[in-house]
Amino acid sequence: MIEPNPYPCHRVRPLPSSRREMLAKCASGFGALALAGLQADRAFASGSDLPIGSAGHGPHDRPRAKNIIFLYMDGGPSQVDTFDPKPMLDKYNGKDPGEFFNVEPTQFNNNGKVLASPWKFKQYGASGIPVSDLFPNVAQCADELAVLRSMTSGFPEHTFANYFLHTGSGFQGRPSMGAWVNYGLGSDNQNLPGFVVLNGGLIPPGGLDCFGSGFLPASYQGSVFRPSGTGVANIKPTESSAERQRDKLSLISQLDGMATQQYGQHDSLESAIRNYELAYAMQMAVPEVMSVEGEPAYLRRDYGFESTYEPTRIYAAQCLIARRMIERGVRFVELTCPKVGGDRWDQHGNLKSGHENNARAVDQPIAALLKDLRQRGLLDETLVVWAGEFGRTPFAQGTNGRDHNPFGFTIWLAGGGVKPGTIYGATDEWGYKAIENRAEIHDLHATMLHLLGVEHTRSTFRFSGRDMRLTDVHGHIIHDIVA
Amino acid sequence: MVRRTLVTLVAVLSCSFAATAFGQPFPSVQLEFFEKEVRPLFAKHCYKCHSVNAKRLEGGLLLDSRSAQLRGGDSGPSIVPGNADQSLLVQAVRYEDFEMPPKGKLPERETEILVRWVEMGAPWPEELPPVEEGEKQGFDLEKRRSEFWVWQPVTAPNRPSVKNSAWPNNEIDYYILAGLEKSGLKPAKEADRTALLRRLYFDLIGLPPSPEEIASFVANKDSNAVDRVVDGLLNSPHFGERWGRHWLDLMRYAESRGHEFDNDTPNAFQYRDYVIRAFNADVPYDQFVREHIAGDLLANPRLHPTRKFNESILGTGFWFLGEWVHSPVDIRKDESDRFDNMLDVMSKSFLGVTLACARCHDHKFDAISTADYYSLSGFLQSSDYRQVRFESLEQNRKVAQQMADLEETYQGEVLKLLESEGIHQPPQSNPLADERVLVDYAQVNADEYWQDGFIFGASPRKQGSFYLDVDLDSDSAPRVKVATFGAAVSDPIWAGLESVTGGSVHDRNSLDKLPKSGRTLRTPTFELRHGKVSCLVEGRGHIVACVDSHRLIAGPLHGQTIKAIGDKPGWVTLNLDRYLGHRLHLEFVPARESDLVVRLVVEGLNPAELAAMQRRLKEDSKAFREYAVVAQAYLNGETDPLRKVALEASEEGGENTAERPEKVEQVVQKWMRERQQLGAQIVRKSYLAPAIMDGTGEDDRVLIRGNASKPGDVERRHFLTAISGDSPMMIQRGSGRLELAEHINDPANPLTARVIVNRLWHHLMGRGIVPTVDDFGFLGERPTHPELLDHLASRFVADGRRIKSLIKYIVLSRTYQMSSHTSPSAMDKDPKNRRWHYQPPRRLQGEVIRDALLGLSGRLDTALFGPPVPIHLTPFMDGRGRPGKSGPLDGDGRRSVYIAVRRNFLSPFMLTFDTPAPFSTMGRRNVSNVPAQSLILLNDPLVVQLARGWGERALKSVPRSGEGNTEERVRWMYLTGFGRPPSVEEAHAAVTFLRSNAAKRKVVMEDVDLWADFAHVLVNTKEFIFLR
Repeated sequence: MIEPNPYPCHRVRPLPSSRREMLAKCASGFGALALAGLQADRAFASGSDLPIGSAGHGPHDRPRAKNIIFLYMDGGPSQVDTFDPKPMLDKYNGKDPGEFFNVEPTQFNNNGKVLASPWKFKQYGASGIPVSDLFPNVAQCADELAVLRSMTSGFPEHTFANYFLHTGSGFQGRPSMGAWVNYGLGSDNQNLPGFVVLNGGLIPPGGLDCFGSGFLPASYQGSVFRPSGTGVANIKPTESSAERQRDKLSLISQLDGMATQQYGQHDSLESAIRNYELAYAMQMAVPEVMSVEGEPAYLRRDYGFESTYEPTRIYAAQCLIARRMIERGVRFVELTCPKVGGDRWDQHGNLKSGHENNARAVDQPIAALLKDLRQRGLLDETLVVWAGEFGRTPFAQGTNGRDHNPFGFTIWLAGGGVKPGTIYGATDEWGYKAIENRAEIHDLHATMLHLLGVEHTRSTFRFSGRDMRLTDVHGHIIHDIVA
Repeated sequence: MVRRTLVTLVAVLSCSFAATAFGQPFPSVQLEFFEKEVRPLFAKHCYKCHSVNAKRLEGGLLLDSRSAQLRGGDSGPSIVPGNADQSLLVQAVRYEDFEMPPKGKLPERETEILVRWVEMGAPWPEELPPVEEGEKQGFDLEKRRSEFWVWQPVTAPNRPSVKNSAWPNNEIDYYILAGLEKSGLKPAKEADRTALLRRLYFDLIGLPPSPEEIASFVANKDSNAVDRVVDGLLNSPHFGERWGRHWLDLMRYAESRGHEFDNDTPNAFQYRDYVIRAFNADVPYDQFVREHIAGDLLANPRLHPTRKFNESILGTGFWFLGEWVHSPVDIRKDESDRFDNMLDVMSKSFLGVTLACARCHDHKFDAISTADYYSLSGFLQSSDYRQVRFESLEQNRKVAQQMADLEETYQGEVLKLLESEGIHQPPQSNPLADERVLVDYAQVNADEYWQDGFIFGASPRKQGSFYLDVDLDSDSAPRVKVATFGAAVSDPIWAGLESVTGGSVHDRNSLDKLPKSGRTLRTPTFELRHGKVSCLVEGRGHIVACVDSHRLIAGPLHGQTIKAIGDKPGWVTLNLDRYLGHRLHLEFVPARESDLVVRLVVEGLNPAELAAMQRRLKEDSKAFREYAVVAQAYLNGETDPLRKVALEASEEGGENTAERPEKVEQVVQKWMRERQQLGAQIVRKSYLAPAIMDGTGEDDRVLIRGNASKPGDVERRHFLTAISGDSPMMIQRGSGRLELAEHINDPANPLTARVIVNRLWHHLMGRGIVPTVDDFGFLGERPTHPELLDHLASRFVADGRRIKSLIKYIVLSRTYQMSSHTSPSAMDKDPKNRRWHYQPPRRLQGEVIRDALLGLSGRLDTALFGPPVPIHLTPFMDGRGRPGKSGPLDGDGRRSVYIAVRRNFLSPFMLTFDTPAPFSTMGRRNVSNVPAQSLILLNDPLVVQLARGWGERALKSVPRSGEGNTEERVRWMYLTGFGRPPSVEEAHAAVTFLRSNAAKRKVVMEDVDLWADFAHVLVNTKEFIFLR
């Protein structure tokens, strides 16, 4: 079951540790041992008999994808202005929506008239998927997308909906999907965290707990990276020279070896010692994955590194680093949005300028990412998901905004075993509520896990008297979008 | 037997009844329509979830027989034959309710078929209802209760016999040794003295021993040396900090609300300090529990030993430490979610059961029903959140009581004076007989008179009662006035209450801006039947409608629940249309330095009706207004009321120049003086703390499938059925929490004592006797040593439920004092150490690692208590609600328990070392092992800085003194860091490192950088974060 690490880091310096030499004699080598160590350490305090790891671990099924890049569209992009055109809105623009349908309570309770989309839609590619003018670049990749127009959320408030999208529960403290995926599959690269959040600047409402490991061990927690500099906290050695660091590590290792007399042999200590080797390897691996300078100039241009719009440049770096990470085996990379001056995709007012800025920040980099992955042959094994926590109302909030709408909205998936060029599900003629093939966030989670070869009902962790799942007691795989 | 007969009889009866109800069979054309058009639709769209063969039956609803459709599911009958619009089935497929089928709306044509079918009367051929394949196991609470270990009474077992009778030090050891001997194992040898001392220090106070303490302990060969060290540690104020932190893990302790803006939980730290003090004071555990559940209701609250404030009430703050949401669109659901968290924490922490699993359905595995869940949520339904003036509470309660007595006395005296002059009170006005009156303070009885504080008096002011009208701006004698109507009235003697909040970061809650604490009158709880609620009031202040106990008003929704009271007396109307059918109460808060009179609360009256009601009230009080003129004239020395009226009308104004009769003057002066004396005893300034408060006693409704918009039957308040049955609890008044606390503490309750002793064992031994410390249920683990668990539990109860004494009992056992050394053969026999054949090394918790570093660096500030030190913010800690200012990197040297816990900005250091995110009870922390931990210890600026401080201290503590000083300094660092001297090899390796690095760097041996680096090396060895 344990395979050699496919990305051995050659820069690991051999430490003069007799323990390590002893370990090295084992047949499987360092990477595998480290992996085994980490997996063993899933256990709680020594001696616990919890059936951890016995149930949750995949893959259970043929994996179609190996990694996920989750493009989180913070704030809730409007479905009727992006991927779900509704001519009725043009026809009845300015009319009272109550004449046509029952208006549900909203977050701001300031409901206005039916509001036509300020953007035009065109059909693209062989599939003819309609995309609005907000996404001219992504539109060029229409034939890669599976557009899911019937997504729903259980919550009309950001924080609940964010936790729900990320953890399958509306409340703080549950493990994030990235944590579940790593719990289920482990990581292919022990020198990098398995769950990375590339923070463009906007941590979603609900905070870092959207990326937490909840009741799962801390090892599954999302590591927040910035798309520049050292990337992550505490990665840069504190020592002024490599030699000094090596001297110190060498002494640490030596003293640790001697301390065995004080304790006896214990797995917990062995693992803690191995941890330092991993940490040391990470100190090398992280700067390497972060350095995009070596990427060809044309590619960087494609991604948007030369854009005149700063948020586009930030998101370009996030997308490119995300590709580099999944190339190196990071299992789950989530991208948060950059700040665009106004609000996130949360246009309670000024829909036009707000959505334009948010789209401008991400459109070019996302398209470049899809093309780059395709060109490298990575798209087939990488699932890309584009989703907000909910959509927006087809009627105005005030005069020129839209309020939150959990009853029907659009997300899309691409690559990684997804049926390309598909449209799945539908909202009503107003784009208000999903009425055909209605999907829940749990269904999205079930499908994502399925594409990774993990059966969502079998990936469980016992906590609080229950076998907990990402999908709770819900979730159906959306087979119609699986290739 | 009798029961089965009855069931059969009912079955027979209902069958024959069904046949009669069917009457004539349906016409064949209708049946054909059913078979061709309708049944296939059910089969295609519904039976996956709503038939006897459904993998999982949803909503308790079967659709595969007519009788099942008529019977319906959790939400009621599926069809009303002949009435499509009334049928849930039709509403569901029209997406008006339920939205079925969930995958998407049926085509119009198919919906029409179902409508037609129902309108026809739901034709269905006569057939037997389908039978489930393989009957499912039902929920049998009594069976589960009688079969599962945890519901059985705690026994007081006899200690087992052992072969090696020389080994045991106390009874614990007999239980452990007996198990070992049975498995052919021997206990490990005793830990060496230095290992034991370090273990005791970290386990009991969370700080390392000093070299002096080590030296004296190692030198002390007395048999009671350990005893004395343990006593010293148990008496250290740091004991409470260490064990308080364990407790806070259960209470999902945090100082902010999380959610979108991470709003403050004001004064949460007062609860934290309460916990630390309670552990230090060794408050008996039953008292501690009682204080948590109902500390506000104790007849004799526990007082702080020196500051004399009410400690008990602070315990109740735990209820309100959860996540809170602003602007929930569904405010009732928000309440049920909050209650769920509160019940979850309460049940896991105190009882070790997962009550929350029974929110939507009977517990899947344990003897806990959904009815149990909602019976317990009734206790919360009957209670309220407040910020309590805990420091002034007891003293002011005393003053209020005396004030009430005094007022009663003088009411009588003044009445006597008037009667003796032949001035008699008219009869009281009749109550307003109008069902739209929600509260009439002229009529409210003491039982329904709720307030936070005392300023509205012990009861409403009755019509015809007397009060002193003191003009604060002049020293003229007060006038005596007669109340012409009954009302709740704030007493100006309480003016100037000052309430202090500490450690505020950001609080957007509009409610926290009102001077509510100790100054709030609240109505009984009622269900809103009309959106317009009007209050007849005088004075300035605010009215707050507390809907579904929601208490975080921070836009965009629910702003209409707060309404200012203007200057003019009269009606103030709240527009609460949004909350029709919800449960709420109103609160009245006078503005600072203002008084408030509250007469009436009505609903659904339009302005004309309000005016009419006011006219009627005036009419009703006519007799009293006339009485007042005469009585006031006499009491204030205005001998001729008519003349007085004339005076007021004339240019001379209302100046009263007449003298009071002497006997009246004496009474008034005395009354006035006694009031002032009492007033001087009021404690005006007080800190605040989150606390609970009783409200109208209410039972909750079972929510069908846990859905807040689908209330079912009322479930009377009671404790867990499996423990004390499900008959309603006898509750005198209000919530009944005090009675609930007694059930939790009842020695016959098999859970409470077992759960707490197991927690103590877990913290000292690294694994509970029941390893799943928060879940003693079926899915939890079974006790490794059930008799030991019961021995500890029964001893604990017999011993007065003293935490410290049980801790001492455990640490004095040889079991605790075993070494971490084991042998391969023993490991073979007991690889998971389930029998406790040795003490495995335990990794220190994040807080302890940081505190130890502070101690070693000399930076530790041992101050106790107080507002949290702001959290240090790294650039990676971002998001809404980020505190405006970062706290100091080293947290001002304070112990970790005092560093701010902001839900959305938790310390990355602590999270990485498994400090739980505060969302629910977490009695057993994860012990993970991740590279991020190594990276923190290697590169985190705080660690590097504190390690440097340790190195500097080494240079100071062992100054340059010639040959051997390097070795001496290394020895000092080993002693301070690991509680033991280095071995020869260790010392040699260390000195070699220091020498060669000094040479490489071309520095002297006393170079600070060199020792900083060496200290940093020691911090990164495993022994630093593990207990031997």
